[in-house]
Amino acid sequence: MSEIIRVQNLEVGYGDEIVLEQLNFSVEKSEIFVILGPSGCGKTTVLKTILGLIPPISGDIYFFQKPMEFLSEKSMNRIYDDIGVLYQTGALLNSINLFDNIALPVHMHYPGIPEQIKKEMVLSRLSQVGLETSWKKYPSELSEGMKKRAALARALILSPKVICCDEPSAGLDPITASRLDDLLLDLNTLLGITFVVITHELRSIEKIADKVLVLHNRGLYFYGTLEQLLETDDEFINDFLLKEKKDA
Amino acid sequence: MVNEKKLKFILPESISHENVSFLLREIQNHMQKDSNIIDFAQVTRIDTFGVSLLNHIKKSFKSVSFINIRPEVSELLNTFYSPAQRSDSDKQDDSTGNILEYIIEKFSGLKKSTLEYLSLLADEIYYTVQYIFKKRGIPPGEISNQLFLMAYDSFPIVCLVSFLIGVTISITSLDQLKQLGADIYLADLVGFAMIRELVPLMAGIILAGKIGASITAEISSMKVMEEIDALKTMGLVPEKFLMVPRLIAITVAIPLLVGMADLVGIVGGLLVAKIFSDIPGSVFLEQIFKAVHFSDFLIGLIKTMVFGWVVVISAGYKGFSVGRGAAGVGIATTQSVVMSISLIIVLDCIFAIILY
Repeated sequence: MSEIIRVQNLEVGYGDEIVLEQLNFSVEKSEIFVILGPSGCGKTTVLKTILGLIPPISGDIYFFQKPMEFLSEKSMNRIYDDIGVLYQTGALLNSINLFDNIALPVHMHYPGIPEQIKKEMVLSRLSQVGLETSWKKYPSELSEGMKKRAALARALILSPKVICCDEPSAGLDPITASRLDDLLLDLNTLLGITFVVITHELRSIEKIADKVLVLHNRGLYFYGTLEQLLETDDEFINDFLLKEKKDA
Repeated sequence: MVNEKKLKFILPESISHENVSFLLREIQNHMQKDSNIIDFAQVTRIDTFGVSLLNHIKKSFKSVSFINIRPEVSELLNTFYSPAQRSDSDKQDDSTGNILEYIIEKFSGLKKSTLEYLSLLADEIYYTVQYIFKKRGIPPGEISNQLFLMAYDSFPIVCLVSFLIGVTISITSLDQLKQLGADIYLADLVGFAMIRELVPLMAGIILAGKIGASITAEISSMKVMEEIDALKTMGLVPEKFLMVPRLIAITVAIPLLVGMADLVGIVGGLLVAKIFSDIPGSVFLEQIFKAVHFSDFLIGLIKTMVFGWVVVISAGYKGFSVGRGAAGVGIATTQSVVMSISLIIVLDCIFAIILY
C-alpha cells in the first residue's frame, strides 16, 4: 500500500489558540481511516486543516508524497482534483437543484464537456447513491439522509482518489446510517477510494474502519488498526467505546 | 436562623427557590470576617436554587465551614459545584486599567478590517476582469438570476421612493420659491437635486437594505452551513463564484434603476408644479432641460454605480467574515447594512467636495 496523506508534527488551531499538537499519522491507499474522539476535541479542525481550509499553526502535511502549500492556489487546486469531501451538513448549494449541485464540479472544471455526457455522469453518480429519481429536487426538499447521499454523489463526480467525510452518520437513524456505511464500503472495495472518516458511531467504526486515530487531551491518544483499538485495555478508550455501545 | 452566641447559621429544613433570596440576604448581612459556620443539621430538602446559593456562599466567603451535612446533600453540592469565578469588581478593575489597550486594540482591528476590505475589493476587480475575458468560474445563468433580483425586484421600491421624494421636495420648496416669485425655478431644483444627489443617495441606501442585506445573509448562511468550504474543496474560488455575478448584475442594473428613478422623481415634481402652481408640464420640462445637462446625469449615474459596488463589496466582506452559528448571520447582516450606508454617506460627501 502506498501513502496518500502523511501528517508530521502538526499543530492545529484557530489563530494563536492551539487545539491539537504533535500529530503524526499517515493514511494509506484504499484504506478507511477513521478519526475518533469526544465532542470538541478537534476532529473537524484536523480534517479542515488537512483539507487546507484552516492554515496549520506548525507542521507539515503531504498529499501523494508532495508537501501541501497552503498559500499556493495552484497547489491546493491540484490536491482538490483528487479529493472529494462529504461535509457534516451535506453543504449542497440550496439555490440550485440536485442535478446542478452534482454537475457543478464538472461544469466549473470542464466547461467544454457536452451536456449529454455531463447528464450521464450525474445520473450514474446519483444512481450509485440511490437518488436517480430525485435529480430535479432542491436540497430543501430532501431528508437529511438524502442530502448526505447527494453530497456523496457530488464528492464522487470527478472520481477522486480520496473522500473525506465529516460525521456522515450524524443526525441519521441507525438504518440509514448503516446504509451509508455500506455505500462507503462498496465504493472503497469496488473503486479503491481511500476514505478519511470522522465518526462517533461504534457500529460504524466496527463496520468500516481499517485504521483508527483517537484524539484526546489536545493530542493523538491512540493510532492503530481497528483490531488494536478493540483489544486495548486503555480506560479512556474503553469508556468512550462502551459509552457509544450504550448509546447505540 | 442566626445563633449569635455560637456564630452559627442554622439552615432551615428546606432550601428552595422560595427562600433562597431571604437566606442570601440574611447570610450576607450576618457573615463575619473571621469564622462562620453553616449548620445543615435540619436540612432535609434542597433544590438546585439552594445548591447554587450554598456554592455561592462557599466561593464568596473563604472563612465559612459547613457542618452536619448529610452525604446526599454533600454529593449534590459537589455535583453542581463550579470553579470559582472572578468577582464583578475584579473585572471592573481590569477594564478600567485597560482602556488604552482596548482603544489601541479597536484601532488595530479597524486597520486590519480596512486592509481586508480593500484586499477583497482588489480581488473582486481582478476576478471580474478575469471573468469578462475568460468567461469561466461562475455558474451558468447566475448573472441573469442576480440581475432579475437586483433590477426587477428593486425597481418598484426605488421608483416609489424616488417619486415620493420628488413630490416632497417640490411641496416644501414651492412655497419659498412662490414668495420670491421664482416658482418656475422649482424645475431646476427638482431636476438638479434628484439627478445629482437624491436618486444616487436613495438608490444606494435602498440597495444596501434590500440587496446588501440579502447578499450578506446568503453568503454568511452558506459559510455557516459549510457550503463555502465545499466550494473551496471543489477547487472553486467562492469570492469569484459568488461575488462576480452580483457585481456584474449590479453594474447592469444600476443604469436602468437610475434612469427610471430620475424620470419618476421628476414626474413627482412636475405633478406638484402643475397642481399647486399651475406651471404647465411643457414649461417645467423645458426648464429642466435648460438647467440639467447630460453631465449631471452621468455624475449621478457614476455615484450610484460606486454606491452599488460599495453595497455588494461590503455585503460580501461581512458575509465571508461571519462568525460561527446562526446568531452570526444576523449580526453580519446588520453590520453589512450599517457599513454600506455609512460608507455611502462618506463617499457622497467626498463626491460633493470634489464635484462642487
